[in-house]
Order: sequence, then C-alpha cells, then structure tokens
Amino acid sequence: MKKALLKDTFKEIKKTYKRFISILLMAFLGVGFFAGIRATSPDMVDTIDKYFKDQNVYDIQVLSTLGLKDSDIEALKKIENVEEVYGTYSQDAEINIENTQIISKVLCLEEVNKPVLIEGKLPENIDECAVEENFLKLTNKQIGDTIEIQIENTTNDDGEEKEYLKQKTVKIVGTVRSPLYISSERGSSNLGAGKINAYIYISKENINVPEIYTEIYIKVKDSNNLTTSTAKYEDLIESVSDDIESIKAERENARYTELVDNATKKVTDAEQELEKEKQDAQTKISEAEQEIADAKNEITKAEQEISTNKEKADKEFANAESQIKTAKNEIYKNEETLNSKKQEVQNKLKQAEEQKAKLQSSLNETNSGLQQVETQYNKVVESLKNENLPEEQKQTLEKTKTTLEAKKQELQKVKQELDNGIKQIDEQTKQANQELTNAQNQITAAKQEVEKNEASLAQNKKTTYAQINSAQKEVEDAKAELQTGEEELAKNKQEFEEKISEAEEKLIDAKNKIADIENPKWYILDRTGNTGYSGFIQDTESIENIGAVFPIVFFVIATLISLTSMTRMVEEQRQQIGTLKALGYNKLQIASKYIIYATLACIIGGTLGMCVGFVLLPKVIWMMYEMLYTMPEIITNFNFTYATTGLLAASICIIGATAYTAFKDLKYTPAQLIRPKAPKKGKRVLLERVPFIWKRLSFTRKVTVRNLFRYKKRFLMTIIGIAGCTSLIIAGFGLRDTIRSIIPNQYSKVFDYDMQVGLKDGLNDEQIQNLITKLKDKEEITDVFEVYMTSATLVNNENSEDVQIIVPKDSNELQNIINLYDVETEEKVALSENEICLTDKVAELLNVKQGDTIILRDSDENEKSVKIANIVENYISHYVYMSKNLYESLYDKYETNVLFTKNIDLNEEQENELSKFVIGQSEVGSITLQSTAMGIMDETMNSLNYVVVILIVSAGLLAFVVLYNLSNVNISERIRELATIKVLGFYDNEVYSYISRETVLLTLIGILLGIFGGYFLTNFIMSTCETDMLRFSKVIEPLSYVYSIGITIIFTLIVNIVTYFALKKINMIESLKSVE
Amino acid sequence: MSYIEFKNVVKEYKMGEIIIKALDNTNFKIEKGELVVIVGPSGAGKTTTLNILGGMDNATSGEIIVDGKNIEKLKNRELIKYRREDVGFVFQFYNLVQNLTAKENVELATEICKNSLDPEEVIEKVGLADRKDNFPSQLSGGEQQRVAIARAIAKNPKLLLCDEPTGALDYKTGKQILKLLQDTARKENMTVLIITHNGAIAPMADKVINFKNGTVQKVEINEKPMKVEDIEW
Repeated sequence: MKKALLKDTFKEIKKTYKRFISILLMAFLGVGFFAGIRATSPDMVDTIDKYFKDQNVYDIQVLSTLGLKDSDIEALKKIENVEEVYGTYSQDAEINIENTQIISKVLCLEEVNKPVLIEGKLPENIDECAVEENFLKLTNKQIGDTIEIQIENTTNDDGEEKEYLKQKTVKIVGTVRSPLYISSERGSSNLGAGKINAYIYISKENINVPEIYTEIYIKVKDSNNLTTSTAKYEDLIESVSDDIESIKAERENARYTELVDNATKKVTDAEQELEKEKQDAQTKISEAEQEIADAKNEITKAEQEISTNKEKADKEFANAESQIKTAKNEIYKNEETLNSKKQEVQNKLKQAEEQKAKLQSSLNETNSGLQQVETQYNKVVESLKNENLPEEQKQTLEKTKTTLEAKKQELQKVKQELDNGIKQIDEQTKQANQELTNAQNQITAAKQEVEKNEASLAQNKKTTYAQINSAQKEVEDAKAELQTGEEELAKNKQEFEEKISEAEEKLIDAKNKIADIENPKWYILDRTGNTGYSGFIQDTESIENIGAVFPIVFFVIATLISLTSMTRMVEEQRQQIGTLKALGYNKLQIASKYIIYATLACIIGGTLGMCVGFVLLPKVIWMMYEMLYTMPEIITNFNFTYATTGLLAASICIIGATAYTAFKDLKYTPAQLIRPKAPKKGKRVLLERVPFIWKRLSFTRKVTVRNLFRYKKRFLMTIIGIAGCTSLIIAGFGLRDTIRSIIPNQYSKVFDYDMQVGLKDGLNDEQIQNLITKLKDKEEITDVFEVYMTSATLVNNENSEDVQIIVPKDSNELQNIINLYDVETEEKVALSENEICLTDKVAELLNVKQGDTIILRDSDENEKSVKIANIVENYISHYVYMSKNLYESLYDKYETNVLFTKNIDLNEEQENELSKFVIGQSEVGSITLQSTAMGIMDETMNSLNYVVVILIVSAGLLAFVVLYNLSNVNISERIRELATIKVLGFYDNEVYSYISRETVLLTLIGILLGIFGGYFLTNFIMSTCETDMLRFSKVIEPLSYVYSIGITIIFTLIVNIVTYFALKKINMIESLKSVE
Repeated sequence: MSYIEFKNVVKEYKMGEIIIKALDNTNFKIEKGELVVIVGPSGAGKTTTLNILGGMDNATSGEIIVDGKNIEKLKNRELIKYRREDVGFVFQFYNLVQNLTAKENVELATEICKNSLDPEEVIEKVGLADRKDNFPSQLSGGEQQRVAIARAIAKNPKLLLCDEPTGALDYKTGKQILKLLQDTARKENMTVLIITHNGAIAPMADKVINFKNGTVQKVEINEKPMKVEDIEW
C-alpha cells in the first residue's frame, strides 16, 4: 500500500466519519449482540460453575427412604472416581414466631454445599444457627435473637423415638446464602401449607441421632476441572452415577437387612426377656399362692382347734353348768323341801301357834275363867267376908266357893296343863325353828357353794371364751389378711397378665413393623435434581437458543446495510478510482482503500462491540435474572471463540460486501470511471400503465411512487430493515405471549382441577373412602376424583421419553378434571377403554401419530404395546391417559394414589387454610394446589420475559441503526436532487415530506411484511426455544402486533426527526457545485 | 431606486485559519427587465454573487435590495419563500430530477408556486412540446437545459439567474439556449442574470458587469444589445 493511498484512506474516514461510524456501528451491533448474547449463556454457566466450585457443591446426591449409614459412605467411597463422600442431615421444621409459621428446611453446616456468609458468623455451637436473609424479613427477627425449631421426632435404628435436635432453641448468629437454593423455590413439605418458606443452617453437633444420615453428597474426582452442565461434566457424572446405580440394590438390601436384623434381634431379645419375666412372675405368683394356701390351711386348723376347744369348753361348761344346775336343783329341791318343811314347820308352827293360840286362848279363857273364877271366888270370898250375909247365901256362897275352889283348882290344873302345852309347843317351835334354821343354813351354805361354783364357772367361762374369741379374732385377722393377700395376688396377676399381653402386643407390633419395613429406595440425583440449578441451566439454554437465532438476523441486516453504505461510497468515488486506475494502480491497491476502510470500521466496531457485548449484555441479562436467582455477580469472560466467530462473521459480511462493490466498479476502464456515473435513469413504473390509479395520484405521490421504484436496492433494504425490526419485536412479544399462554393453557384449559392430593402408600380402600368423605365434607371442596398416577417411559424405535401415566378410577369422570382436546380436530375426546391418549409434545418427540402402536415401559422394565387413540393437547410435561381396564390388563391392580379435587373460588388465605387441613389428614402424603403450581411456573416463565425485553430493545436499536443508515444513504445519494428542490424553494417541511413520504410508505410496507415475518420468526424461535417438557402454542396477541407496530413507528419517527435536521442542513451550493 | 441593488456586499469564507474574501465590497445596480451578463475569470466572485442574490447564500455584510426588500434581512423561511416565488435558477449541469419527465420537472416547480405558468405552455415555449414526457436521460444536453429553463421560468419569477447555462453545451446549442433566455427576458420582461466566463456573449446583454478579485471592476451598459443569433464567438 502506498503511503499516499493510506493517507487518503484516513482522510476519507475523517471526511465521511458518519458513514464510517455507521458501518462501525453495524459491526458493533452485530458483533456485540452476537458475542454478548452468545456469551451470556456460558457466562451464566461459568458464574454458577464458579459459585458451585467455591461452595464445594455436590456432584451427586444420594437419598434413601430409610436413611443412610456410615457403611453406605464406605461403600460409596470405594467407587472409582468418587473423591469425597459427605453424609449429612436435613429436615423440615416448623418455626413459630408470634402468629406466623415458617416452614423451614434445617440443614447442617458441612464441608460440602457450603453456604456463603452474608452477615454475622456461621453457627459453631450447638445452640447457634444461621438463616437465610429472607428468614429475617419474614420473621422480623435479627441476628442475636433466638428461635425455637420444632422438628418431628426421629426414630433410631433401635426403633426408639428420639428428638431430632439436641437443642431446640437456637440463636441466630448470621445470615447465609445457600448454593442449594439459588431460586426462590424452596421445595415442598408435608408440614404447614405444604411449602418450605426458608432454610436455616445449624451445627452438625446439634443432631441427636447422628448415625442416620438423611442424605449423602458426593464430589466426583476431577469434576472441578470441568464446567458444570457441559457434556463432559455430565458424562463424567453419569459414569459415576451409573457405578453408584450398580451398588444401589446391594446397599438398599444391606440397609434393609440391617434394619430387619436389628429389629428381629430386638424382638427376639424382647421375647426371651418376656418369657423370663413371665416365668419369674409365674413363680412368684405360685409362691404367693402357696403361701396363701398355707395360710388358709393354718387358719382352717386354727379354726378347727378353736371350734374343738370351744366345743370342749362348751361341753365342760355345760357339764359344770348342769352340775351347778343339778346342785342348784338340789338346792332348790332342798330349799323346796326346806320350804315345804318350813311350810310344814310353819304349818306345824302355825298349828302349834294355833294350838298355842288355842292354848293361849284356852289359857286366856282359863285365865279369864280363872280370873272369873277368882273374881267370883274373890267375890264369893268377899261376899263371904260380908257377915251379914245370909248363911244360906253364905253356904251357897261357900258351896259356890268350894265349887269355885274346885273349879279353880281344875282351872289351875288346866292352866298347868295349858302352860305345859304351850311350853311344849314353844319347845317344839323352837326346835322346829332350830331345825329350819339349820336347814336354811345348810341350803344357804349349799347355795353359797353353788354360787361360788357358778361364779368360778362364769369366770372360767369368761376366760375360756375370751381365749377362744381372741383365737377366733386372730383367725379372723389372718383370714382378712389372707383375703387382702389374695386380692393383691389377683390384682398382681391381672396386672402381670395385662403387662404380658401388652408386651406381647408390642412384640407383635414390632414383628409387624419388621414385616412393614419397606425395602429402602435409593435416589441418585445429580445437580439437575436441584430445582434452582436446573431452572438456571434451563434458562441459560433458552438464552442460548435465542442467542442462536437473533444474531443471525443482526448479521444479515448488518451485511445489507454495509453493502448499501459501501456501494454508495465506492460509487461516490468512482472518479477517484478511475483516476487511480489511470495512474496505474492495480485493482487490489485501489480496492484496498475501501477494504481498509471497511476493515477498520469492522475491527474497531467489532472490538468495541465485543467489549461492550461481553460485559454489558450478560450483565443486563443478568440484572433481570438476578431477581430470580440469588447468586454472586456474573462473571463476564472474554470468550475467544465467540469473539473470533463474531468478528469473522462481521468481517466476512462487511468487508466482503465492500470488496464486492469495489471490485465490481474496478472492472470498468478508467475512462468509464472518470466520467460521472450517469445518474440513475428515470423510468416509468408499472403503475403508470394503470392510468386509472395513476391519474388519481397527486403529483407529489407520483413522484414518490416513481422514486420508490427507482432505488430498488434501498427500497428493499428499508423494507427488509423495517420488516426485520417489526418481526423481531413481534417475535419478542410473541415469545412473551406464548410463554404467558402456557400456564392458563395447562392449568385452566387442560387441567381443570384445583388441587392434587397425593396419598400415602398402602392405604386400604376404606381409608381412602374415609378421606374422600372428609374432603367432600369440606365446603370449600366441591368434588373429589380418584386417580392413579405413575411414571413410565414411552419407547418408539430409538427414542424414549419419560411420561406420567394418569389412570382415572372412572374413565367417564376424567373429563371433569382433565380436558382431552384432540390436536387435529380440536374437539374434546373421551378416554377410550382399550387405547391410550398421548400428549402432543411427546408424540412429536417420539414421532408417533394417532393409531400408531407404541411401547410403554414401566419402572420394573415391563414393556407393553399400546395403541394410541388420540393425540391430545398439553403444554407442560408429558402424560399418558389410560382407562382403569387397560391399566389392569397391562399391569397390576388399579390402586388410587392421587385425589384430584375441584374447589370453589378461594383466596390465598382460604387456600392456605384448606391445604393445612388437607395436609393434616393422616392419609395425605402431599398436596399441590393448582395455584401454587401455576405460581411456580409463572416465576420460571417470567425469566423468559426479560429475554423478550432484551429482544425488543435490541430489535429497536437495530431498526434505528438500519433506518438511520439508510436514510443517510438516501440523502447522500440524492443530495443533488434535494438541493435542487431546495433551490426551487421547497420549504424545509416540504423537502422533508418529499423524502419522508417515501420512508413512510416503505415503513408501512415493511411493517406489513414484518407482521408476516414476525409470525414466522415467532414460530421459528418457538421451535428453537421449545424445551422438551414444554409445548409452545404460538400465540401472538393482537395487542402485541399493535405494540410492535407502534414501537417500529416510534423508531421510524425518531429516525425521521434526525433526517429532518439532516435535510435542513443540506448545503445547496456545495451540493450543486459542478461535478468534480 | 433600482430593482436590484448590491451595496457594499462582502462575503468571506473561513477555510481553517485563513479567511478568503469571495466578495470584497461589491456594488452594482440592475433595473427591472434588464438582461445582465456577468463576466470575469474563475474565482472572481460571479457565482457567489449569484448565490447570494438567489437567496442560496448569505453575505457577510452589506445590503442586497431586490424589489425594495433587503433580502439579507430575511429569515430562513422568508428566504425560502423568496427563492420559491421570486427567483428562477438555471445551472450549468441542469440539475433536473432524473426520475421525472421533462414536464414533471417543470411541474415540480409549479406545484409550489402561486403565480406559476402552465407547465405545458412553458414546455411548448422552450420548444419541447413533443418531448415533454421524456426523462432527462432521454434528452440531449441542450434539451435538458431547456427543461431547466422552463422549470425556472414556469415559476414566473422576478429574476432569472443563470450560472454558466451554456458551460456544458456545444456552441450551437449554447447559442439556442442564450437566445431562449434573451427572448424570455424580452417577452416576459423578466430580469435575467447570466454568468459566463465567455466575454464574447456580453453584447447580448443590456448591462455587462465585469468581476475581478471579488469586486465589480466595470459595469457597461449596452444601449443597443445585439441579438444572440447575430453574435459569433
């Protein structure tokens, strides 16, 4: 290259800086966009890769339904390429703070999956914990506050219930960020409303049963040398996973055996112990019984003795008594005799008395007779004394006196006699009385003796009976004691029996439990098992897909624009080229000016584009993803491959276009070149041959029409540019609309149920019906449907896809919960009895049609052929619907494991209440509310929205550059014409509309084409972006067309405003100067 | 007062640090209906004068009176209006719009003018009635210049400014064009200014203004201007 030429080139750049910049800008945009958007995905992958490496995130995770042991760790360590194996614990917990309940995942601080410390410190002590930042927001707690973690008790291998934590009340010492939870999704739980709200980290020492790990994390050797999610990484992980898979059955079995053996041994021990205890107790009981029997005997004996004694005593006493009685009787008799004697005596005495009285009276009579006699005698004596007395009288008297004296004598004699008699009687009475007194005395003495005897007997009796009584009481006491003893024994016996039966029951339970011990199942998961990670990787993939399509559009347009620009430039410099050629420069030398010009623009623009693209675009996209993922700042790398590819592509496009134009003109001879290229000839357009229309057009319109057809290249370019811009924006919006439509399509159009209730394993029909009744009783739930769901693999030729099988208990009821729309007829179809319905995306992936036969492989590798009755609409995941009959004919018996419910319209709070109620049912294993599922999907979908924003912005940017560039070319190409009309006195706005009329028309045509283009581009991007699990249903809302058109028009307007000023600035004199 | 007056007009261009005086205190007067020929060597300020007079450029200082208006004081829009209604331009390279036919090129001017003439008539006047539907590329140079003149006069301007109208034409055609201009000036009583470096045609003018080094060196008045066809050069 000659110096002069080089100088000229730089001067040229300086002079035509606008053009240079516009080409530079094209390269900038093309390369920047290409490199940036292409690099975003790997940058994001690099970011997560570094993050995961920094935090030592696992490569493989092993979970088991029955926990994992050190032996498992040992076994895993032996596998080739396994570098490190970590056993750890995680559990769902309830943390109640005031009125809010936070369902938390409680993780242990480990060397693997290390959380990033944000504030404070990591938990070191048993009573410390670190929480995620959101936890503090949710609870209004601060570092330093304490919380109480409530976790369900765990069961150790001995079957004992144990507290999960040693220390339930822990202090928050810091906030952390876990690499395991990069998205806002925290997973589901069977606690609370079924959703985990936050995670917390505790110290490992706090685990109460550390011998059972809940999960094992594995780091694979050399995995840190590979980038996560790359094919190499995944191959490595898969190979190790496969190896783990190969020991899985053995380990599952070992764990099963361990548990069963342990439990069996425990049961056996318990049985033996029970037996021994039983025997011991039995012996004790028999001993006690013997004792009681002995006691009883003794009592009986004592009783007998007592009774004998009593009898004897009774007899003796009776004897004594009878003796006494006899004695008494005798005494009595004696007394009686005595009495009768006494009577007799008394009678005699009475008689004697009477006699005596008689005698006395006789005596008295005698005495009185005597007295009388005496008196008479005395009188007679007296009267005799009396001398006077006649002697007659005196003789009478002396006769009387002698009679009296005889009488008196007789009387004296009688008296004597009487006195004797009385004396006798008195004697006799005295004697009798004496006798009586004697007898009386005798009797009294006898009586006294008897009484004495009696008293002594009574005393004796009293003593004896007292003795007997006390003996009896003793026996009675002994008896009572015996009874208490017996009762106690009975009680103890009963207790013992109860205890035994209880123990036996327990044993049976334990035995049953052994039988119930399920074969543990291992789950071997790689990182894609982590929701956040897999979502993130999927997002990077969709960005990659978009990055694959859009930059192409950019490059195509950039090429076309450069082509136009450079063509114009070369054309402008025709004469110079001719001169140089005439001077003897060769083609290459001449062309090199333009090539250098273009190359410089390309390299500078491209390099700038790269720099900006590699940093800015990933950062901008990242800014949007940052809202979805909690991750460290994105690492923006200079990606050499994309840099060179982008630059190369841009160079080929731009420099190629330049070289093409330059060499095209260089073909001409210098003479041809030196003459100004004849201005483009005016030509009649086809429309003029339709006078009907042509005549109706105003003059200015005619001019416009003719101009449009005059500059065909520019015409096409503008249309392509605008159409491209509109298409891109429509595609952007279309992508958004389509993504938006997925959720309502899946969760309203296809799935018509409101809640999915997973049942626990092994429920019997009664339990299920019971639950259904309970659910139906809830007024929020209007209907409940029974379904069996399982997963399987569909196989067709080489291809296989995982699907979910849905088997309704009643085929006719399926339409109440899931709408099957045939994709061809778009009509609702019923589930056939003997054929399956297959969802569309999987049918497409497996390339099967309605009426085809396909192989269904279940988890036990049973392969069955089934015929496809219908291909039905579906948007998320893949499903196979089959009738109960068909399922039972192919596999096992139908068994309801999922309930679908239809609910009334509920607000969030009511839904939470309902889910709390449902999850609280013992039969329920899990629940998924349709609204939650929608929410989760919504969040994932939102991330794509950001990509759409980027698309729209870049499309707009592109449109701007294209239009601006074309407008510049247009002005420069037609500057003379424009200057002329300016000279003619066109006002600025007239000049502007002279040009803009064309632009507007082109814009309109471009937009029209863009609408079609957008439709097809959307379809194209859909098919590129569509992941295997999602079906996009190509929806573009009418409003999106309106927006797209509006945005395009706005960009056109902006460009037109710029053009307006450019036109105003046109210098007529300069422009109209004679051609050099 | 004359119809056109240049009073102490100065035009300076800045080329980097150097100031070039294109016009240095130029003064002249032109009466209404005069056919004026401006002659002088390259760089004498002829075209600058014409541009300033045509409202395409501004003077650095001085007054330019046209029909009583100082066009130096006109605002941009008024200046455009002045160009639109009062001035007709004819260039050396015709500057026809290639995409328009002869008639349409004329129409382009008449479309925006109030007192415009009928394009058909004007085309006829310049003798192109049978070529009116041809595109410029289909016309010879002379024919193209006729179209340009037709376009200029169709506006019915107060003054017709022609910058080397025959510069790109052969002798014969040039003569025809000059005749057309002279005829137009006479018939329409239009004030016509023709720039030429060919002093030989000066006799056709009513007034000849000689330029040198950016100023008027001499103004000659032909009492009896010659008919173009009588002039030979």
